[in-house]
Amino acid sequence: MGRRALTLRDLTSEAASEGELRERIVRELGSEFQSCFRCLRCTSGCTSMKLLELRPHFVMNMVKLGLVEELISSGIVWTCALCLKCEERCPQEVSPSELITLLRNFSFQREENVPEAYLKVVSSVLETGFIQEPMEVVSREFEEFTRESLGLPRLVGPREAFSENLIELMTREAG
Amino acid sequence: MEVAVYWGCMIPTVEYAYELSLRATFPRLGVKLIDLKGVSCCGSPIKSVNRLAADYLALRNIALAEETGTEHLLVPCNGCYLSLSEALHHWRTDEELQGEMEKFLDKEGLTLEGGIKIVHTINFLHDIIGLEAVEKAVKKPLTGLRLVSHSGCHILRPSKILDVDDPERPRKLDDLIRALGAEVLEYPESLDCCGAGLLLSHPETAVSLSATKLRAIQGLGVDGLVDSCPACHMMFDARQETGARAIGYKLSLPVVYYTQLLGLTMGLDGRSLGLHLNQSPVEKLLERAQKTFP
Ligand code: SF4
Ligand code: SF4
Repeated sequence: MGRRALTLRDLTSEAASEGELRERIVRELGSEFQSCFRCLRCTSGCTSMKLLELRPHFVMNMVKLGLVEELISSGIVWTCALCLKCEERCPQEVSPSELITLLRNFSFQREENVPEAYLKVVSSVLETGFIQEPMEVVSREFEEFTRESLGLPRLVGPREAFSENLIELMTREAG
Repeated sequence: MEVAVYWGCMIPTVEYAYELSLRATFPRLGVKLIDLKGVSCCGSPIKSVNRLAADYLALRNIALAEETGTEHLLVPCNGCYLSLSEALHHWRTDEELQGEMEKFLDKEGLTLEGGIKIVHTINFLHDIIGLEAVEKAVKKPLTGLRLVSHSGCHILRPSKILDVDDPERPRKLDDLIRALGAEVLEYPESLDCCGAGLLLSHPETAVSLSATKLRAIQGLGVDGLVDSCPACHMMFDARQETGARAIGYKLSLPVVYYTQLLGLTMGLDGRSLGLHLNQSPVEKLLERAQKTFP
């Protein structure tokens, strides 16, 4: 597959204003997402609450108050483990995890606070189709193995049109 | 029975033990696996940077699978299982998305019908192959072994879309382990997340989460932990030592894929099941198993 050096700039678009961000949230998640009545069920079972102090109901409320910029610049959206317990258990059927994911998308578009490892994964998927190339592994006895030496078939990735599609999707303004 | 299989990224690039053991065991249950060409990442990690691009990735893989004409698409990775199921749900319920995606798939020469049934290792074995057939394949039952299971998050939630098992009290993996002759314990932490979702952003916390769960399991005095997701497995197996350091507690718990355990009871050789690749002390479990074999 042809390789093209990519910068994060290539994949992002001009930053949207606060008002536009809120509009996009409502458009993509539906206005029902605002029906959170702060019962805290999401937060009480949140995987990231104890160690990273994530409180999904608080993220919901911040957005309701229009504090989207603050959420993005705080980096808090990257503390979610995406276990989806909050979405499963919310009595109002709103999804804090889906909101958090959308806010991550915003933070990617603005090149703000995106963890380096995510950027690496993105460029690997664009170049090879996969998050990483097949790796050499070591057994407990310190023998080295590859797919080939384990007798596993060769991995055949996608063709050119795939990365063109992916770049087009990632560079355009969503919505 | 022929089944298309979508391996995702983690299994074919590093978690070879899952691939080896699945390839070794499924034919013995009468299942012929059909590999796909030209597949890519399922979209799971990409969803965090661009939701639409994630749907495209998932749907293109499903379209490739549909070319095989099989009724089911087997997806052994939990993360991939969720991505593909979720994207297909979006596609089925959102006409605008359908039209949009058609353009992109068309450029790759792909069409999506959307009729293929997506299954995970657990519900495929439990619901389609059936516990009885699994039991019948067992030559060396694991009598006397005490085990616990970890189903993982992304085959259980959101239950609005997924139907592998009960989201608050999954039992199928336990039933499948019992079918191999072992005893299975329930434990309060069974739904705790492995932490893999934090590996790219907060790796220290990620391993603390998996290690905390391992510590609880170790406290039960069981012979091992059984899982069936490459991400969860990597956290519990390959990252067990790192996790132990992170929480300052000595961990020494055998962790195996269900398909590895299944292969053992079928009488298959450990290497053909990738058991030499596990990084956790699986010898302890293997020795116990040997003792129980008649
Ligand atoms: S569980 Fe739902 S309604 Fe309750 S606080 Fe969380 S988001 Fe709001
Ligand atoms: S998905 Fe994220 S916010 Fe929701 S419970 Fe899990 S860690 Fe918490």
